[in-house]
Amino acid sequence: MGKVPPSFRSMASTQLVKKPTTSPLPPPRDPRSRIAVRETLKPSEDTREPLRNPFKTPDLSDAKSLFNSIASTSRIPLDLKFHNSVLQSYASIADVDDTVKLFQHILKSQPDFSPENSTFHILLAHACRAPDSSLSNVHRVLNLMVNSGVKPDQVTTDIAVRSLCESGRVDEALGLVKELSEKHSPPDTYTYNLLLKHLCKRTDSLSLVYKFIDEMRKSFRVKPDLVSYTILIDNVCNSKNLREAKRLVNALSDAGFKPDCFLYNTLMKGYCTLSKGSEAISIYKEMIEKGVEPDLITYNTLIFGLSKSGRVEEARKYLKTMVEAGYEPDAVTYTSLMNGMCRKGATLGALSLLEEMEGRGCAPNDCTYNTLLHGLCKARLMDKGIELYELMKSKGVKLETAAYATLLRALVKNGKVAEAYEVFDYAVESKSLTDASAYSALETTLKWLKKAKEQGLAV
Amino acid sequence: MLPQRLKKAITDNPKKLGNLIDLVNLPSTLRDFVGQSQISRLGCFMRVWSYIKTNNLQDPKNKNVVNCDEKLKSILLGKERVELVELPSLIKLHFPKQPK
Repeated sequence: MGKVPPSFRSMASTQLVKKPTTSPLPPPRDPRSRIAVRETLKPSEDTREPLRNPFKTPDLSDAKSLFNSIASTSRIPLDLKFHNSVLQSYASIADVDDTVKLFQHILKSQPDFSPENSTFHILLAHACRAPDSSLSNVHRVLNLMVNSGVKPDQVTTDIAVRSLCESGRVDEALGLVKELSEKHSPPDTYTYNLLLKHLCKRTDSLSLVYKFIDEMRKSFRVKPDLVSYTILIDNVCNSKNLREAKRLVNALSDAGFKPDCFLYNTLMKGYCTLSKGSEAISIYKEMIEKGVEPDLITYNTLIFGLSKSGRVEEARKYLKTMVEAGYEPDAVTYTSLMNGMCRKGATLGALSLLEEMEGRGCAPNDCTYNTLLHGLCKARLMDKGIELYELMKSKGVKLETAAYATLLRALVKNGKVAEAYEVFDYAVESKSLTDASAYSALETTLKWLKKAKEQGLAV
Repeated sequence: MLPQRLKKAITDNPKKLGNLIDLVNLPSTLRDFVGQSQISRLGCFMRVWSYIKTNNLQDPKNKNVVNCDEKLKSILLGKERVELVELPSLIKLHFPKQPK
């Protein structure tokens, strides 16, 4: 005793990273991290895992006495960081009520302690994650904050919204944003887009989403930006509403935005999943026309879409274009192409593509092998199929449902029941599928063979 | 591939999965073989299949056929030779549909 426990100190530095109150960063262009960019800035729970929590029980009086004993024996002055980490540690095991009480205890017993935003944010995040239906605890923390003379800012809004959305309480987040916008500060674009994303995910009704956008625009002058439009377009594309997607593209140009590569990719993905190859190509052409440089994802999407709609020749052409533009095709590119070729019946061509890809130093992934195996079995190229299966087995590649079922069927059809059992063993052993689904596929296949035999169809 | 697998899991209706993994009280013949009083159909199949493998009961000339030993014969209708094709259906005989 007499010293601050090390777990407290190390926590202080990792846990309470302050977020910038404004958003000085332009949204990064990397498509995947773009929407989720600020997630890295929130106090992450992962960093807490390896550390020992000094609080053993959620009991309040124990916690108070532990705090008192540290406070009375510590030789160095206790600072804000220390108090914050005490609260953070305690919040991870105790409920909101007790955490607030501990906070008040610290406030009373430490006259030097003047809580700041960061302190209240710990309490707020905890209150938002607590699984009670009302927002009473959240309001309590906010009142506490205002009464202590600390003004909630955009970070406060963000933390509340993020925590609520993460625990699936989008409606509450929606209500809270409106309330906070009226009383304190409207959400910044990151918070706004995060909420929009969750709203899109949760509800089927687009009008609800539009109503939210309208309200925010009218009441608080928060407008959708390019990222917001991308979220919306992605959402309508996923529900196959491409007419609405087109409307949104026009709307965003009217609002003064220029579609970027990521937006085009999203749109193209929409067309490709519906096997609309021509539309996908026209988007590609539009990109070139408007001077938006296509990236690896554009090409992969395009090649995937064309392969899917049976236009493998064109897909191959774009593979060439892609290489000329300086993008190295990856496993996804090749797998899409192989898939297209297998569908067309050019299975051997797909197999030779495997060599080509390995020759270029691109390692095939599980999906590549499964696609090929599926194709080979469908095309009744049993020897090559078994050869590939042995290769996959030696590499420990997991089998996917479709490839597994097709392989079983092909083996059984050729009278190789024992081999089928062996494949079943491998599927179970490698945990490719659950035991139950691996077994039911085997059972179904054997039943099918019996039936076929009775009807004199198979061997 | 994942959504497809998910879809399959749903279409593989729950009732069917249930009769595969639910524990069932066993008749005495099977109880002697597995050494416990309850097992699922899936678990039983796994036991029998691994019994066949560990005791090398597959016919060396034709791997698709199992030469049963006495213990295995007792649960597979007393057959001398059993084809792997019929193994699941033979095991299913011990798990009759339960009247609801």
